[in-house]
Amino acid sequence: MMITLLVLLPLLGFFLNGFYHFSAQARKTEPSVVVAGVIGTIALFAAFALAVVAWLSLGKSGAWDVGIEERLFSWMKLGTLHVEFGYRLDRLSGIFTLVITGVGSLIHLYSIGYMENKGSARYFAYLNLFCFMMLNLVLGSSLPLVFLGWEGVGLASYLLIGFWSGEMANIMAAQKAFLMNRVGDLGLLFAMFIAFKFAGTLDLADLSSYSFKPEVATAFGLLIFLACTGKSAQIPLFTWLPDAMAGPTPVSALIHAATMVTSGIYLLARLNPVMGQSPTVLFVIAAVGAGTALMSAITACFQSDIKKVLAYSTISQLGFMFVACGVGSPETGVFHVMTHAFFKALLFLGAGSVIHALSGTQDIFKMGGLRSSLPLTFWTFTAGWAAILGLPPFSGFFSKDGILHESLVAAHGSRVIFAVLAFTAFLTAFYMTRLYILVFFGQSRLSEGVRKHVHESPIVMTLPLLFLGLAALAGGWFGAPVRFESGHHGGVGEVSPYLIMVISVFIAAAGAFLGYRKYFRSNHSEKTRDPFRVDEIYTVVFGRGTEMVASFCSRFIEEGVFQRILQFSGAAVDLGGNLFKTVQTGSAQGYLLMMVLAVVALVCGLIFGVHGYGN
Amino acid sequence: MEISDSLSFFLTLPLFGMVLSLLIPRGVQRIYAIFASLLFLALTVYEASGILFAGSSELAARLSVEHQLLWLPQLGSRLSLKLDSVSAWFVVLNALTAVIAFSTKGAWYRKNPKLFTSLGFFLLFGLNAAFLSLDLVVFYLAYESVFIPMIFMVGVWGERQKATAVFRFFLMSFLGSILMLVSLFFLLSKQVKSGAGVSSHLSDLVALSSGLEGAEAKLVFLGFFLAFAIKVPLVPFHSWLKDVYNLAPFPATIWMSAILSKLGVYGVIRFVEPLFPQVLGFFQGGLLFLAAVSVIYAALLAYRANHPKELLAYSSISHLGFVMLGVFTLKAQGISSAILLSVGHTLVSALLFFLLSKVEEKKEGLDLLSVHGLSRRYPVLFVALFVAVLASVSLPGTLNFAGEFLVLLNAYPVSAFCTILAGFGAVLGAAYMLKFYQQMGFGTPSSGTSEQVTRGDDLGGFELVLVFVLILFVFYFGFQTSVFLKGN
Amino acid sequence: MSLLEPWMMLVVSMVIFGIGLLGLLIRKNLLVMLMCVELMLNGVNLSFVAFSKIHHSLDGHLAVLFVMTVAAAESAVGLGLVIALFRTLRTVDSDQIQILRD
Repeated sequence: MMITLLVLLPLLGFFLNGFYHFSAQARKTEPSVVVAGVIGTIALFAAFALAVVAWLSLGKSGAWDVGIEERLFSWMKLGTLHVEFGYRLDRLSGIFTLVITGVGSLIHLYSIGYMENKGSARYFAYLNLFCFMMLNLVLGSSLPLVFLGWEGVGLASYLLIGFWSGEMANIMAAQKAFLMNRVGDLGLLFAMFIAFKFAGTLDLADLSSYSFKPEVATAFGLLIFLACTGKSAQIPLFTWLPDAMAGPTPVSALIHAATMVTSGIYLLARLNPVMGQSPTVLFVIAAVGAGTALMSAITACFQSDIKKVLAYSTISQLGFMFVACGVGSPETGVFHVMTHAFFKALLFLGAGSVIHALSGTQDIFKMGGLRSSLPLTFWTFTAGWAAILGLPPFSGFFSKDGILHESLVAAHGSRVIFAVLAFTAFLTAFYMTRLYILVFFGQSRLSEGVRKHVHESPIVMTLPLLFLGLAALAGGWFGAPVRFESGHHGGVGEVSPYLIMVISVFIAAAGAFLGYRKYFRSNHSEKTRDPFRVDEIYTVVFGRGTEMVASFCSRFIEEGVFQRILQFSGAAVDLGGNLFKTVQTGSAQGYLLMMVLAVVALVCGLIFGVHGYGN
Repeated sequence: MEISDSLSFFLTLPLFGMVLSLLIPRGVQRIYAIFASLLFLALTVYEASGILFAGSSELAARLSVEHQLLWLPQLGSRLSLKLDSVSAWFVVLNALTAVIAFSTKGAWYRKNPKLFTSLGFFLLFGLNAAFLSLDLVVFYLAYESVFIPMIFMVGVWGERQKATAVFRFFLMSFLGSILMLVSLFFLLSKQVKSGAGVSSHLSDLVALSSGLEGAEAKLVFLGFFLAFAIKVPLVPFHSWLKDVYNLAPFPATIWMSAILSKLGVYGVIRFVEPLFPQVLGFFQGGLLFLAAVSVIYAALLAYRANHPKELLAYSSISHLGFVMLGVFTLKAQGISSAILLSVGHTLVSALLFFLLSKVEEKKEGLDLLSVHGLSRRYPVLFVALFVAVLASVSLPGTLNFAGEFLVLLNAYPVSAFCTILAGFGAVLGAAYMLKFYQQMGFGTPSSGTSEQVTRGDDLGGFELVLVFVLILFVFYFGFQTSVFLKGN
Repeated sequence: MSLLEPWMMLVVSMVIFGIGLLGLLIRKNLLVMLMCVELMLNGVNLSFVAFSKIHHSLDGHLAVLFVMTVAAAESAVGLGLVIALFRTLRTVDSDQIQILRD
C-alpha cells in the first residue's frame, strides 16, 4: 500500500491543517505559520521519501512498462463500464511523483518563511490539497481518476490564486483560471466518451495499447490535446496563466511553473501510443507548441512585472515541451519538464525572495543593484538564469538542446519548427537577461521607504533556493531517465547533436549579449504591453459574447416569448372570468329567478319531447 | 408483520404525523417536525435499505414488494403499492427532503406553525403515495394532492406578488395534469370497449397501450409526457418555475426543487417508459435535444440571473436537463445513471437552498442581492456553501460528478451531438455557480448594507450536523458509486 | 265522490307554492322572504298529503312530518341569521346585502 499511502499523506496534511484552521478560528486566534507549515512540509516530505523508495524498487531495467500497481476499490461499475480506483507508479509517473513531492516539499518549506501567520493554516491546507490532487493525476490508473486529479488541481489552483480574497481582482483571476481550465476539461471528458464508445475501456494501460480507427484516433487525440492546452496554458487557452500570478509567489512556483502546468505533457506522454496513431494530431501539437513558445516569448520581452515575465517564460517553455511531444519524442519533453521544474521553481522562489525583501514591489524597473544586498538570492538566481538560457553545464542546456535536436531529427520533426524554436531560444536569452540585469545589476532604483527594509530572506527560504540551485545545475547530467519505444528517426535525417549544441549555445549567448547591451546602463522604465492583445480579444468575444447570448436568452426568449405566453394564458383565463362575472350580480333574488327559470326550462324540456338522449 | 402489510402502514404514517402536529403546542412545532421526520426517515431507510444495497439486481428484484388492496372497483383501481429499486431511492429522498425543509427557520414557524407542519406531513404522504403506487388512478390522485399543500405554502408564507406566482404554477401544472387525466381515461375507455375488465394497474395498461398505433399512441403519449415535462420542467415548459421558486418560502422551494421535480423524472421512468416504448423511440432524437437545450438554456438564464434564488432555480432546471438526458437514452444504464444524478441533485439543491435560507436568516429584511463578505463573518457557513457549490458544478469525487459523467457517457453513443451540447453546460455551470458564490462570499458592498449581516451565530449544532452528513453522503457515494449502482 | 277531491288539494298546494315562490322573488324584506319559504314548504306538504290519499299509503304523511321538523329547525336558523345580519348591516333589505359579491 506504499503508493496509496504516498498519495494519502498530503490529504492527511490537508485535513490536519483544515482542522487547525477551524480550531484556531473557534478560539479567535491566528494559526501559527510554523505549526501549519511543519505539518504541511512533513506530509509532503514523507511522501517524497516514499516516492524515492518506490522509484528505487522499480529496479534499473529502465523499461517503461514496469510498474507498481495498487487497486483500492471499485469506483464506478455500470453495464460494461468498470472503473477501478487504483494507482500505478511506473517510470513516467515516477518522475512526476518525485518532482511533485520533492519540489513540493521544498516549496512548502519556503512558504514557512514567505507567509504570515494570518490564514496560514488555510494556505498550507490548500497547498496539501493541491499535491494530493496532483498525485492523483499522475498516479491514477484510469482516465476518470486522472480527471479527478485534473479538476482537483484546477480547484486547488482556484483557491490559491484567490487566496488573498480581499481584492476582487485576485478572485477574478482565480475565476478566469478555473473557467478556462473547465473548457479544457471538456476535452478530456469528451475524449473519455470516445474512448469508451470505441475501445470499451477507460483504463490507461489498456487504452495505450488500443489501436483506434484513424479518424477516431484523430478526434480522440485532438480532444486530449484541447484538455492539455487548458491545463498547460497553450494556445488557445493560455491567457489565464499570467493572471494567475495574483496568487502568493510560492504557489506560482509550485503550481504555475513546476507541476500543474506540466500535467498536459504528462497526459500526452502517457497516451503517446494513441497520439502517434494520428499524424494530424502530432502536427497540431507541434505547431501549437512552437507557436505558443514564440508568441509568449515575444510577449515576455514587453513585461515589467517580474512574475509576469516568468509566467510568460513558463508558457514559452511549455511550448518547447509540447513540440517535443508533437515531433514524437515525448521523453525529451518529460526530461525538460523535470529540469524546468527545478530552474523555474528556483526562479520563482528567487523572485519571491526579491519581492519579500522589497516589501511587495514587483516592477523590475523599480529594482536594480540587488546583487550585493541579496547575495544568496543572487547566486541561486544566477543558476536558474543560466539553466533557462541553456548554458552548459546547467540542466537546461541538456534538455533544451535535446528538444532542439529532436525537433529536427525526430520522426515528425521539420526545419520550420526547429527555426521557430531556435528563434524562441534567442528571445528567451534576451528577456531573461533583461530581467536578470534589471533586478540585480546597475544602479538601485528603489524608493526610499523600500530601501531601508531590504534584507536577505530567512534560512527557511534560502535553504530551498540552495537545493533547487543545485538541482538546476546538476539535474541534467543524468540524461532523460525515461525511454519510450519511439519510432525510427525520420525528420530531416541525421544531424550531429554536437552541431546543435554549438548552435544553441551560440544563440543563447547572442540573446544574452543583446539583453546586456540594451539594459545594463539604461534606467528608463518601459510600459507593460501585450503585443498580441489576445486577452482583450477573449474578454470581448467570450466574456461579452456569453453575456450577450445570455441576455438575449433572458430578455428576448424568456421574457419575450415564454413569460409572455404565460401572461397571455393568464390574461385569457382572466378575460373568461370577467365575462362570466357579469352574471354574478350579488342579488340573491336574481340567482333565485335564474334557478326557477332553469327548472322551468328543464321541466318543459322533459315534458315536451327532448327525448333524444338515451335512445 | 409482513413487509407487504407494513407498506400500507408505512404509507399512512405521515398522516398520523399530520394529525399529531395539530395537537402539539405552537412553540415546539419545529422540534416536533424535525424529530418526527427524522424518525420517518429512519423508518424509510430501514424499509428500503434491503433493496438499496442489495448487491445485485436479482436480489433487489426479489426483495421488492408489491401490496394490493381493492379500492375503487368502478374504475378498476386497486391500491397497489410497490417498493422496488426504482421507487426506493425516491421514497428515501422524500423523507430526507422533509427533514431538510423542516429544519429551516423562518416566518413559517412564527406565523401559523401548525398549518405549516401539517401541510408538510401531508406533502410527505402525497409524494410517498405517488412514488409507491403502481395504479395510475391512485398515482394521479396522489400527484394532484401534492399540489394542495404547495399552493397553501406559497400562498400563506410567500413573498409579495405570490398570488400571480401561485396562479401561474396552478395554470401550468393543472394543464399538464388534465392532459394526463384525459390520456388515462382514454386508455381506460379503450379497455371497456375491448370488453376486458377495467383495471388501471400499470401492467394491465401496458398490455393495452402496446396495441395502440400511429397518431393515437402519440397523442396519448403526449398527454402523459407533457404533464411530467411541466413538472420536471423541461425547457419550453419551464416558465412557471421562476416566480414560484422566487416567491415561495424556503421550505417550499426546497420541496419543489429537491423532490417535486423528481416526481416528473419518476413519472417518465415508471410510467411513460413502459407504456410507450415505441413512441419514445420515435421521438427520442427530439427528446434528447430538448434535454440538452434545457441544460444550456437554463444555464444561460442562470448566468444572467441577479437574485441568488432565481439563479439556483435555473441551475436546477439545467441539472435536471442532464437527468432527462440520461432517461431519454432509453437504456437501463442511462436510466440508472439518471437516478444516480437525481439523488445527487436532490441532496445538493436541498443543501444549497437550505444554506441560502440560513443566509437569509442573518440578513433579516435585506435583499439577498446585497449580501457580501460572508467569508469573513460566517466562515463555517461559507465553507459549507463552497462545498455545495463544488458538488453542484460536479467536481469529480462528488455524487453529482458520478451521475453527470455516467449520464453523458451513456448518452454519447446515442447522440454525440446532444451530449456535446449538454457538456458545455458544465462550463456555464461553473461560471454561474462561481459568480453566485463569489458575490456572496467576497467583496464589499457599495453602501454599508453588509454591516447588518451580523445577526445570529455561524452554522452550529443540529444544523451543522445535518449539513455535514449531507456533504459526507455526497462524497461517500461520489467515491463508492459502485455500491450505489449495484441494486440497479 | 267525496266533497274534497285530491286534485283540488293539488291545485291548492300549487297555488300556495306559487304564492310562496312569487313572494320570495319579489319581496325584498328578508323576514318576508323567510315566511315565503315556509309557505312553499307547506304547499309541498299539502301535495304530499294529497298524493298519499291518491296512492292510499302513509308514506306521504311520513314525509310531511319530516318536512315540518326540518322547517321548524330551518326557520329557527334562518331567523337567527336574519337577526345577525340586521345587527351587523342595519338592514334586512336583500338588495343591499351583497357583501359576498366580490
